[in-house]
Amino acid sequence: MQKQLDLRKILPQTYPFLFIDKISHLDAEKQIITCIKNVSGNESYFQGHFPGNPVLPGVIIVEAMAQTSILLYAALKPGNMARKPVFFLGKIEAVFKKPVVPGDVLELNASSEKIIDTGGIVRVSAKVGASIVAEATLSFGVKLI
Amino acid sequence: MAKKNGVEQMKKDVKKLVSEISEIPVGELKDEALFTEELGIDSMKALEIVAAVEKKFKVIIPEEQIPTLRSLKYVYELIKKLLKL
Repeated sequence: MQKQLDLRKILPQTYPFLFIDKISHLDAEKQIITCIKNVSGNESYFQGHFPGNPVLPGVIIVEAMAQTSILLYAALKPGNMARKPVFFLGKIEAVFKKPVVPGDVLELNASSEKIIDTGGIVRVSAKVGASIVAEATLSFGVKLI
Repeated sequence: MAKKNGVEQMKKDVKKLVSEISEIPVGELKDEALFTEELGIDSMKALEIVAAVEKKFKVIIPEEQIPTLRSLKYVYELIKKLLKL
């Protein structure tokens, strides 16, 4: 079952540090979410990474994965979102398989390994088309006010 | 006899998981040592342990039980209960 989530109301990040454009699939029962990031050549970091050869920095892919994980947490713990949770990344184990370049549509598929009120472990696979470009397991903590 | 072996194997497996995640050698892990106060296992590592135990033993640890898992001894007791050992 698809639930509606307004990502801009949920994610604490805003421009220029918002790296999710939309949620394309969400199943709270199966504890999975798919988010999309459209990679545009206009993004500022491409000027330096690298001049004449723009490649999406791996750390930006990780940040997009982290934001996808926040959205998954919000879907599984909707009651906590009114308590203005603060999310902090604890650990990442990531593998980068292929470069991501302007024009690519980055699809982030996340599934919960374990999500509780005070944190979570999420597995995320990033794809461009049929190719997996990166995979990671992220552990994060949540401080509820 | 089979049940006792099952419990002993479970304890070995749990200790190995905790050792890998906490990076504390198996020989230094005491069953009664408190995870946070004595072993320096923070909440993030504790969650990793919970997830690893769930995966290894194919159980689900209820969220409300997690704060009670303060040492290996408590983990063993919960797994015994969940697996009916």
